Amino acid sequence: MENVALIGLSRQIALGRELEVVANNIANLNTTGYKADAAVFQEFLSPVASNGQFRAADRRMSYVHDRATWHDFRPGQIQNTGNPLDVAIDGDAFLVVQTARGERYTRNGSLHINPTGQLVTSEGDAVQGDNGPIQFQNTDRDVSINPDGSITVREGANTKSDSSRGKLRLVRFAQLTQLQKDGSSLFSAPNGVAPQALQPPQKVRVLQGSLEQSNVRSVVEMSRMVEITRNYTQIAGLLQQHGDMQRSAIDKLAEVPN
Amino acid sequence: MRALNTAATGMMAQELSVQVISNNIANMRTTGYKRQRAEFQDMLYEHVSRIGTQTTTQGNILPVGIELGSGVKTVGTPRLMTQGTLLPTGNTLDLAIRGDGFFKVLMPDGTFTYTRDGSLQMDAQGRIVTAQGYIVQPGITIPNNSTAITINPQGQVSATVTGTTTPTLIGQLTLTRFINKAGLQSIGDNLYVETPASGAPQDTTPTVDGVGDLQQGSLEQANVDAVTEITDLISAQRAYEMNGKVITAADQMLQSTSNLMR
Repeated sequence: MENVALIGLSRQIALGRELEVVANNIANLNTTGYKADAAVFQEFLSPVASNGQFRAADRRMSYVHDRATWHDFRPGQIQNTGNPLDVAIDGDAFLVVQTARGERYTRNGSLHINPTGQLVTSEGDAVQGDNGPIQFQNTDRDVSINPDGSITVREGANTKSDSSRGKLRLVRFAQLTQLQKDGSSLFSAPNGVAPQALQPPQKVRVLQGSLEQSNVRSVVEMSRMVEITRNYTQIAGLLQQHGDMQRSAIDKLAEVPN
Repeated sequence: MRALNTAATGMMAQELSVQVISNNIANMRTTGYKRQRAEFQDMLYEHVSRIGTQTTTQGNILPVGIELGSGVKTVGTPRLMTQGTLLPTGNTLDLAIRGDGFFKVLMPDGTFTYTRDGSLQMDAQGRIVTAQGYIVQPGITIPNNSTAITINPQGQVSATVTGTTTPTLIGQLTLTRFINKAGLQSIGDNLYVETPASGAPQDTTPTVDGVGDLQQGSLEQANVDAVTEITDLISAQRAYEMNGKVITAADQMLQSTSNLMR
């Protein structure tokens, strides 16, 4: 194999990966609280044989190497749904969810009440309040979730005053890039990254009756996809020309003079 | 190429979304209908290189990793149990619930179902039944010779019998509430059944514990909002098209690879 083919191949593999990232973004175009991914590439310089004896040293090979995908934590659009148990977070905070795998963080505020009266996510995992899970009583109605995350209800036949049901635990992270995606609109924090409680002045508001839509920008994804396919085709053409060159070289050089 | 499968999950999700929206629109004028919504979440991620992995023995760690997602999945199609608007009909046995409660209905097989559809009727024996003829609980029989029926917000049913001027109390309607209304299972005919997710039914008289009061001569309309449904439909259709384009793109890339070989 010659280096041309290998360098072309490294670019094609990277483009294939990037298309996967774009495809996942587009598939999640309508997923509540989804945060888009983007791929980052870097040049990978490979040392080759070089010897001072040669008239000019071989130049180093430059491959493409996919280094990372990063999450775009830009806020998504807020859609009004009118459902009292839908919340959107205006600001850079996350809701805390207790799953079987441990504590997870989410921006997906499509919440429900389970048969035991706990506030849960669509997957049935308990949403955490400041003092553990949020528990409703059988006779609670007219749930209202206030901008600071506190939850009040009207209890039983009481029509005059509200009863408190706790306060949603909201956290933020100093370095959002360190969060890992865990599927199901959840993020997990790797070891050593601890969530921080909100400090006043809170610039975070909880909006009841709204959901945060996915922050995938379809135009950007589409243009990226066009770029990927065009680049891929170009490299394929390049590799083909290189192959043709080799073949004609073999044909020409192997001709036995009569 | 995994992008093909990822885009396929996206197309399937949007197809389901359109299915849910079309059912909402079809039931726009169904009494007591509650709209559904398709909820999506992202699927598993493959961590090609994991964030926080040590890169050197000096303790340097990867600040960002490579995570490749595998598409979208549907987690549920919950019903939004918000109050529908009340439409006055003037019909004596039309009842609308203003609150969280449900009417309890006895099915022919002896089980109970629950409904918000208050377009009640009277059967040959004078019993109060649903439009399908199932008895509304607790069974209330209206006397043969009654001239006027009144149902007050507390659910007390009174009838004025021929020859008298004062109405007599003939029964008390009850309403049922669930801690998780969205967990009820729909079985068609505007009926719901209890599930492990909904919690146990709690029967109370109207106006107690937030089950709501009854409004005679009105029906609760569907809580479907045409504008919301149409905008959702547009975004679902566009998302479907875009996922289709991803498949075309992945296909083109595969084609140019296979064309390398001659």
